[in-house]
Amino acid sequence: MRIEALRLFNVRRFADSGVAIEDIGDGVNVLCAANEFGKSTSFEALHALFFQPYSGTPGEVQKLRPYSGGSPIVEADISTGAGRFRITKQYYAGRSARVVDLGSGRLVAQADEAESFIAALVRGGAAGPAGLLWVRQGITGLEKRGGAQEENEKQVRASLLESVQGEVEAVTGGRRMAEIVAATRSALAELVTATGRPKTGGRYAAALDARDQLVSAEAKLREDVQALRDALERRAAATKRLAELEKPDDRQERRKAVETAEARLAAAKAQSEMLKAAEAELTLARERRQIADRALKGFRDALAKDQELREKLRQAEEKRGAATGRRRDAASAIDTARAAADAAEAEAQASRALLDRLEKALRAREASERLVALNARLAEAEAARQSLEQAEAELARARIPAKAVDDLQTLETEIVRLRAIEEAARPTVSIAYEAARTGDVMMDGAALADGEERGYARQARLVAPGIGVITLRSNRPGAGDGRLKEAETARRALLESMGVPDLKAARARQSRAQELDGVAREARSRLSVLAPDGLQTLREEVAAVGAIDPDALEFKADPVEVRDACAAADERWKSARLALREVEPLQARANDDFVVAEKTLASLGGERAQIDAALGPEDERGERERELREALDALDTTVGKAEQLVDKLRAAALDLDSVEAALRRARSVEDAANRMMGELREEIAGLNAEIRARSDEAVEETWRETSETLGAATVRADAFAREVAVLQRLVGALEAARSNARDLYLKPVISELKPLLGLLFDDVSISFDDKTLLPDKILRNGQEEEVERLSGGMREQLSVLTRLAFARLLARDGRPAPVILDDALVYSDDDRIERMFDALHRLSRDQQIIVFSCRQRAFAKLGGNVLAARDWRP
Amino acid sequence: MFSFIHSSDLHLGKRFGAFSGDLPGRLREARRAVIGRLAAHARLSGAGVVLLAGDTFDTETPAPEIRRQVFAEMRDHAPIRWVILPGNHDSLQATQLWSSLATEAPPNVTLAVEPRPLELADNVVLLPAPCRVRRPGRDQTEWMDGAATPDGAIRIGLAHGPIQSFSEEATATDVIAPDRARRAGLSYLALGDWHGPLEVDPRTRYSGAPEPDRFKHDRPGEALLVRLTGAAAPAEATSFETASFAWRTLALHLIDGGQPAAALDALLPEPRLRRHTIARVVATGRCRLSGRAALSAAIEHVGPDFAYLELDESALATDCDVGDLDLIDRAGALREAADALLAESADERLSAVERDLARAALGRLFSMSQTTAP
Repeated sequence: MRIEALRLFNVRRFADSGVAIEDIGDGVNVLCAANEFGKSTSFEALHALFFQPYSGTPGEVQKLRPYSGGSPIVEADISTGAGRFRITKQYYAGRSARVVDLGSGRLVAQADEAESFIAALVRGGAAGPAGLLWVRQGITGLEKRGGAQEENEKQVRASLLESVQGEVEAVTGGRRMAEIVAATRSALAELVTATGRPKTGGRYAAALDARDQLVSAEAKLREDVQALRDALERRAAATKRLAELEKPDDRQERRKAVETAEARLAAAKAQSEMLKAAEAELTLARERRQIADRALKGFRDALAKDQELREKLRQAEEKRGAATGRRRDAASAIDTARAAADAAEAEAQASRALLDRLEKALRAREASERLVALNARLAEAEAARQSLEQAEAELARARIPAKAVDDLQTLETEIVRLRAIEEAARPTVSIAYEAARTGDVMMDGAALADGEERGYARQARLVAPGIGVITLRSNRPGAGDGRLKEAETARRALLESMGVPDLKAARARQSRAQELDGVAREARSRLSVLAPDGLQTLREEVAAVGAIDPDALEFKADPVEVRDACAAADERWKSARLALREVEPLQARANDDFVVAEKTLASLGGERAQIDAALGPEDERGERERELREALDALDTTVGKAEQLVDKLRAAALDLDSVEAALRRARSVEDAANRMMGELREEIAGLNAEIRARSDEAVEETWRETSETLGAATVRADAFAREVAVLQRLVGALEAARSNARDLYLKPVISELKPLLGLLFDDVSISFDDKTLLPDKILRNGQEEEVERLSGGMREQLSVLTRLAFARLLARDGRPAPVILDDALVYSDDDRIERMFDALHRLSRDQQIIVFSCRQRAFAKLGGNVLAARDWRP
Repeated sequence: MFSFIHSSDLHLGKRFGAFSGDLPGRLREARRAVIGRLAAHARLSGAGVVLLAGDTFDTETPAPEIRRQVFAEMRDHAPIRWVILPGNHDSLQATQLWSSLATEAPPNVTLAVEPRPLELADNVVLLPAPCRVRRPGRDQTEWMDGAATPDGAIRIGLAHGPIQSFSEEATATDVIAPDRARRAGLSYLALGDWHGPLEVDPRTRYSGAPEPDRFKHDRPGEALLVRLTGAAAPAEATSFETASFAWRTLALHLIDGGQPAAALDALLPEPRLRRHTIARVVATGRCRLSGRAALSAAIEHVGPDFAYLELDESALATDCDVGDLDLIDRAGALREAADALLAESADERLSAVERDLARAALGRLFSMSQTTAP
């Protein structure tokens, strides 16, 4: 479709006036005028002509009306493949829509038909997008426009995604679609999960739960009701059966059957007893016959045995006689031998006694000689011992320690030495007498000879006759006095200890002791020779020899002779004993034979006595045998009779087992009936309880109620299921349509858009994702940028380009549509606008583009077909 | 002259589990209240006997309080005599029920549990045919033919079960002979089981349930007052209303272009009756998408007036023209989706279920598109 002319009258500012824009051609057409001119009015009038039905007065139509009122008229000439047409619409009073064929001047359609004609033009069929592609200043879609909304949308269109996809969807009507899909999905999401399962906590799930719970509750109750009905039926059946069983006739009949069977059993038992008695009798007769038979046979055997025994007895007596003779002979031989042996024994005893006596005498003699010797030695030993004791006693007294004598010797020497020293130091006095002296001076009682030098110790008293007493005092301490005194004291002690007066005596005692020691030693050695084991032992030896029998000493004989005689006697005794031993066995054998013969005889005698007892007196034996035979014959007859009786009874006997079985059966019938009655009564009691309990629970009412509730719940759940299905179906249909629209338009549009982008932006490249068809990258000067950061101008340009791409798509599809731009490039700079113009021109070769703009200077460069408006009145 | 009330199928104790809220309780109470209404009418018309022809109780095991309260009320209406016949719902098989009833029954209540003549009044004999089991499988009234009664006595039969195909529960194996009244020389045969009132012949009638319990019969609950002037005279039966709840099936036939809401309004009972009305609107015919939406909205609007109101629109066909689709969208993917659903809803190759789904989805799309700004 192409627009050739646009005329409007009584629209907005053109109250009761009009303008016409004629000669709109192919390619780029530009209506460039100042704002006051009413360029936007033209744009909106054109839009209304194509999209607002003549009959309605929605907001957009109202906006067309001037303030003064009146009926807006819009008219456009168009050309399509089918020809050239004039479309005219009048709104409000005298509303109309007309399509006139410009070629023929014929009215093609009017009113609704005209609307259909227009719709076919812009839609390109029911499924196609709008045939006209509109871009308004600053707005990138064909939305409802309120003043505030217009401002908002400038910001709302924030992303490139929307500026491309949104454009396409705007022309494919997809914005409401998104809302409806979202609403449907949220309605669906309240009921089911993403995978289509009932959503937990949702109304659908709750309805399903309620239904499921009711299903199980209903099943449970149905079971209960069924159980109750079963119980009722069982009770009815049981009651009926019990009544049958309790019927008196039947009971009587069962009783009678038992009694009959019992009587039969008693009869059978009596018969059986009789048979048993007869059988016992028969057994007894048979046993008696057997005994009689055995008795006869025994008697005959005994007779034979008797004969045999007689012969044996005779032989045994002969044997016994021979044995007795032999025993007698042997006894006499033994007596002879024993007498000889006794004599030899006596002789041997006598010679041995003689020999003993002789030996005893010899021993006594020897002992007496030894005793004499021992006594002599004992006397000598005792003498030796006495001298030893004497010597030792003396020695004990005389003995002095050798060292003590030596010490004494030393002390003596020391004392002499000290005296000498003392003597030498002592003051001396000597008097030289005058011749005429009266007497000698007495010194300490002793006369002091003339010239005699006498010493003194401390003081000396000189009695000088006639003169007086002269006392001499030395007045000095005796120097060696102490040591001398000590030595003397020691010597005195030593001498006292030894018990001698002086050294000489000590030495004499020492030699005496040595002498005594020698005596003692000699006595000791002598004693040890005489009595090496001690004197006591020697005394015991003497005592051991003891007293000696004087008689024994008297006997005298020749020992050799005696001994020979004794040996010969022993020899003789021995041979006599041997002779006796040879004879003795003879007697033993003879005894043995005798014993055997006696024993045989005794046993035979016993047997004989037994047989005799059995047989009885010999003269009665024939008679006895005949009696026995007769008794046997009689018993044979008895047995025969008893056998006959038994056979007869047996043949007539009743089968006790089957009679008993019959009784058992009759009784079991009766018992079973009785038991059954008891069981039935119990069952009825149990059922009564069950039924009463369930009846009071009104289980059936509850069941019916629950099953009705279940029905309602099922309906509700089904309704939800249907709701889900409907919503799912709707979502499916919407999604399918949307995806179709995308496939149909979005993809081709983007492929058309790409070369246009290249045309406009040599420094920017935009790449689109194949699957989502969303722009995913913007490369500006080799730098990647976020798609959200596109400038307003760029977005605007993209919007225009999208329309152009869409228009190209439609043109290729054989449905060319004009692109109408109303101040669409307000944000673009001049350089970009020129590029845009290039793009428009390039496209305009097969595309009508109508540009409305107030930017006269900038759009002067656009070139193309410049449109002019002139006044118009229809 | 002898007059009595003939009723049946009280179904006392029925719980109405399909409903929710307090409605089940109200319905149960309404059933019990029937006894009072029957008694009141009996007193009014001078009838001394009320014959209940079976299914007095809904189940074989009614809750003890139901039995007790019913008997208490019946006792209270003495000297009116009540005759209760076992039906199929409360057959004699429920031995527990009937033994309990026997011990609890007040003196003015007679349990007709034996097929034996029962004297109702001087020279008036009742021949009851109690249901021995739930499904007897044979005609229980046969014995009436040979039942001996005094000469000239009025013979009244009382039975429960289907005649021909008038079986409330569609079991036709145990059918009562339709001409039993003639064969057995009955002046009147009072029948129960069929919940709607029905005259089989001038002497044989179903009284119908006094308080309906389902939509099936679509008539108000009734009972019969029967007057007999003599054994040979014709029975004079007049019905009287007993129900407190109305069960209504409202047929709403729509034709294309009609106004569904207005048509519905014309059909509904006057508002003061709605509280005691259980209604089902069965929509048939054809209707446009918008009309359908309007109908649903109208039903939703008046629903609270009623005890219960439901809409069955399964038989309502939807018409859809370009104008309706234009209201969804003139073009684009939405329109495509609508077109696809419309085509599917008319595609004979698809199953009915799938077509129905597509139609419903289209309806939904329509209503959603109307609430979504264009």
